[in-house]
Amino acid sequence: MSASVGFCSRWFISTCDRWLVAVDSKQDREPFVFDCSTAEKKPKNPSTDGDEGGAEETRSDRILAFAVSPCGNLVALTDDSKRLILFRCEASSWRCISVRFVVRRCTSLAFSQAEDQLLAADKSGDVYSFSVLNPDQDGELKMGHLSMVLAVTLSLDDRFIITSDRDEKIRVSCLRSPYNIQSFCLGHKQFISALLVPPGHSQRLVSGSGDGTLRLWEFESGRHLQSVDLRDLMDPEKTDNDNEKEKRCGVRGHRCGVRGHCVDHLYSVFTGVLSVLRVSLVQFFSLDQDQLSPHSRLTPPHQPLDVTFDPEGRLWVLMDSDHSPLQIYTHRCGSWQCDTDSPDLTRVSAAFRIHWDKLDASVRTASRFDHLYVVNYDNVSEYMKKKQQRLDQQSQKRNLDQKRRPDAKKMKTPTANS
Amino acid sequence: MTSFMPQKRYYRQRAHSNPMAHHEFNYPVCPEEMDWSELYPDFFTGSSSKNGTSQVEFADIGCGYGGLLVELSTLFPDKLILGMEIRVKVSDYVQDRIKSLRESEPGSYQNIACIRSNAMKYLPNFFSKGQLSKIVGYGLVYTNTDVEEVHLWMVKHFTEHPLFTRVTDQELDGDVIVSRLGTCTEEGKKVQRNGGKNFLAVFRRIEDPNFGQEN
Repeated sequence: MSASVGFCSRWFISTCDRWLVAVDSKQDREPFVFDCSTAEKKPKNPSTDGDEGGAEETRSDRILAFAVSPCGNLVALTDDSKRLILFRCEASSWRCISVRFVVRRCTSLAFSQAEDQLLAADKSGDVYSFSVLNPDQDGELKMGHLSMVLAVTLSLDDRFIITSDRDEKIRVSCLRSPYNIQSFCLGHKQFISALLVPPGHSQRLVSGSGDGTLRLWEFESGRHLQSVDLRDLMDPEKTDNDNEKEKRCGVRGHRCGVRGHCVDHLYSVFTGVLSVLRVSLVQFFSLDQDQLSPHSRLTPPHQPLDVTFDPEGRLWVLMDSDHSPLQIYTHRCGSWQCDTDSPDLTRVSAAFRIHWDKLDASVRTASRFDHLYVVNYDNVSEYMKKKQQRLDQQSQKRNLDQKRRPDAKKMKTPTANS
Repeated sequence: MTSFMPQKRYYRQRAHSNPMAHHEFNYPVCPEEMDWSELYPDFFTGSSSKNGTSQVEFADIGCGYGGLLVELSTLFPDKLILGMEIRVKVSDYVQDRIKSLRESEPGSYQNIACIRSNAMKYLPNFFSKGQLSKIVGYGLVYTNTDVEEVHLWMVKHFTEHPLFTRVTDQELDGDVIVSRLGTCTEEGKKVQRNGGKNFLAVFRRIEDPNFGQEN
């Protein structure tokens, strides 16, 4: 996973490679830094690890996903060494509550609204529930897909768990009884990498996919409401060649911003690959009942890697830059404007840069999408060609036979039992 | 054009095909976009007297060479039955067989069809929720195998699944499908020839016992 950002109450969170860095955006204090390589390793269990083979499995401590709880005082992360680590932020200090282990590497995490459980989706397609109230309790298998699950989220009332996979499927299941599938949201033509139930729109689901579209659903029934092709939003100058437009596009993530008491905007970071260039854009959408409408677009000074909204509804953008990796945008007078002089930005940037500078530029931008595209293998054409040849030969032979012996009996008529 | 009955020897394929492999399949994006008229032309054209809003109600998952499909076609002439088979040659055989049967007996065998597909992955693409449930109130799943371990595995998983309950032998008395399951398919006939045993288990889909029990 490339660098990611989020907010936990007033703490700015970022993960990159094996580090989690949390910076207090409102007060000058020492950031909380966690290095996954310092955490305990998964204990070797001879009975279950036997099938992993004799050789030591190569693993890093790279963070694969993280999640912030709805109330903003818990953070969970999962890494390449199969750890699942839970942190609590209280008063102004951070505490690691538990280090647990998952069966397979995870791709996505989500807290329930009630904050009683943490859902972890893994690469084999299984979804486990980990108790938050009993932070040392092992995970419980809840449900599974037949292919890698890429995103997991919950409905706002915790009634449903929504999961999406590499095989174009979004599945809506009852959280209490996940074996009971409520519906499928079918329409995407490639893997689905991002899911969001927007606050204030409890019946709606927004999904983003490798097919380059954002789709809006009424998830309980599976009804498809709208599809927005992100490639249509790309600058015409950059896509003068239709071939280039066809290139793959993936959606990096959805975030929802809240200003005051009403939900304002969704954003979508859209990553497109055009020939050898990597184009990223930060696109805002507004959402009313049944319609996602493109709103405004940001053109950050450097390549955006990830974005997040803070509790005040400002948008923070992390960019691929050594000197100024962070930027804040505030919605003022009907548009999103850059807030370069914000004291919060200055404070966070100063503390953040110390850690950002230590990282190799290559770990910031690992692409998560390329390997997710399914390449199908055609095993039909060859057979059909041979069959046609056989039929042609048989037909020729029959014609020859008929010419030689026009009085010969015709073939038996077929019956059901032959 | 007359089709001759396909000869099995040209369509032989080994029993196992990897369902996790990414072979190219044709499948609709969602059930609403499936064009069934190609498979059941008599049921989906305006000229037919049959109900144009018919739906497939029976599915034979892994229909093999189509033995069960052909048998069920005459037993349930008004039901649409779909066979799903993952193997290229075998599904092609069934399609050729159905085509040939329809031509030799006009009006018959119009209610069966076979598609080459991976049921494990694409069942939700073809069938909407509850579509296969119209048989006896809630849907029934018939499982049949000659390998005892497979039978025990299926029984274990269906029994443990909260949405299924086993149908007793008593309740199955007189069920037309049960009596034919072991005898009309290729595999079934082979088992009979070899003096093997047939293991049957039927399960009924039930209401979620946990639904509505939130908090």
